[in-house]
Amino acid sequence: MARHLLGALDVVQESRDGSGRAVRVGAAAEATGRYVYCLASPGEAVDLGEIGIEERRVYTILQGDLCAVVHGGPPQPYSTGGREMTIAWVVAHHRVVDAAWKRWGAVIPMAFNTIVAPGEKGAEENLREWLERERASLRGRFRALAGKAEYAVQLFLDVALLTREVAAASPETKKLEETIAGMPRGLAYMERRRLENLLKRETETRVEAHCTELYSTLSRCADGVRVEKTKQSGEGTAMLMNLSCLVSPEGYLRLAAELDRVGEAQGFAVRLVGPLPPYSFC
Amino acid sequence: MEPLGRPQATLVDLLDRVLDRGLVIDADIVITLAGVPLVGLNLRAALAGMETMVQYGLMREWDRTLRVEARTKAAAEGGSVGILGSGGHGAPPQSRVLSAVVTRQG
Repeated sequence: MARHLLGALDVVQESRDGSGRAVRVGAAAEATGRYVYCLASPGEAVDLGEIGIEERRVYTILQGDLCAVVHGGPPQPYSTGGREMTIAWVVAHHRVVDAAWKRWGAVIPMAFNTIVAPGEKGAEENLREWLERERASLRGRFRALAGKAEYAVQLFLDVALLTREVAAASPETKKLEETIAGMPRGLAYMERRRLENLLKRETETRVEAHCTELYSTLSRCADGVRVEKTKQSGEGTAMLMNLSCLVSPEGYLRLAAELDRVGEAQGFAVRLVGPLPPYSFC
Repeated sequence: MEPLGRPQATLVDLLDRVLDRGLVIDADIVITLAGVPLVGLNLRAALAGMETMVQYGLMREWDRTLRVEARTKAAAEGGSVGILGSGGHGAPPQSRVLSAVVTRQG
């Protein structure tokens, strides 16, 4: 339907959604933009309800075997809302992408604030033409993503636990501890520093081994691995690695088994988050 | 802090993905303002400091909101689901995540 031709009627259309809520009456530019959450394939022409940002009605624009999941809104990006509002936007955006992903199995998430402008032909027409132009390239992306999910894999370290484990496991350090006990204070101090350095080096060796092993495990089980920034979690634990992976269902079974093993090592823990739509792999 | 017996995404897991990832339409059909990089900065500025606040307990309010939404939805659909859907991959096996670190075993 040529919405862009309706002008002021656009606003009236919005209020007939059946929500019963008063719609802001304003310039006809109110809903001339199309916020694109994601693309889906094969997709269908459907209304997903008021699950969008600011509870806007989300629906699809079907173009052949591709569809764009959109809401109609003002042709401006969401930018200055403060913390709570920004969080609400992010949560709503993900809610829509996730709903589309669960429904159609393969989605290409769009960058936040992808808003198609009305231009001369109207946003929907612009979007349709773009989908048509990009059809071949998009098809390739869908093929690469079909059936797969994104997971975040994070490796954590409890420094105190690992150090204790290393100390307990090494006969040399045990022996050194015993000898230090019988030394005069000055010498004991220096020897204790030497012991600490030994433990530190051994701990670092183990940490590096674990990180390398985790990364190579993921590379074997996943179709894509991305290194992310680590986050602080505080309280004596350190995040050593933060990885995103694109995993097929078969790959996931292997991955979960391997991660259980990695997480069993004293002092280490693995956090697995997902499945998520493939945000990081499009 | 509850042990994470199954994978559940928290807000922090989402933020980077929603705000920094996804396909970019590199064509003049999309709204671009001269200050588009500023738009991104505004969003990030609004969230500044949040990640260091996340001690897996301080964001409980938001996580709780997300979990309530998920439970309500799950109840309506007659199934059980983690916070953010299953996408057809089924229930993941139990993995010993974080509980060892948090409860300081040993």
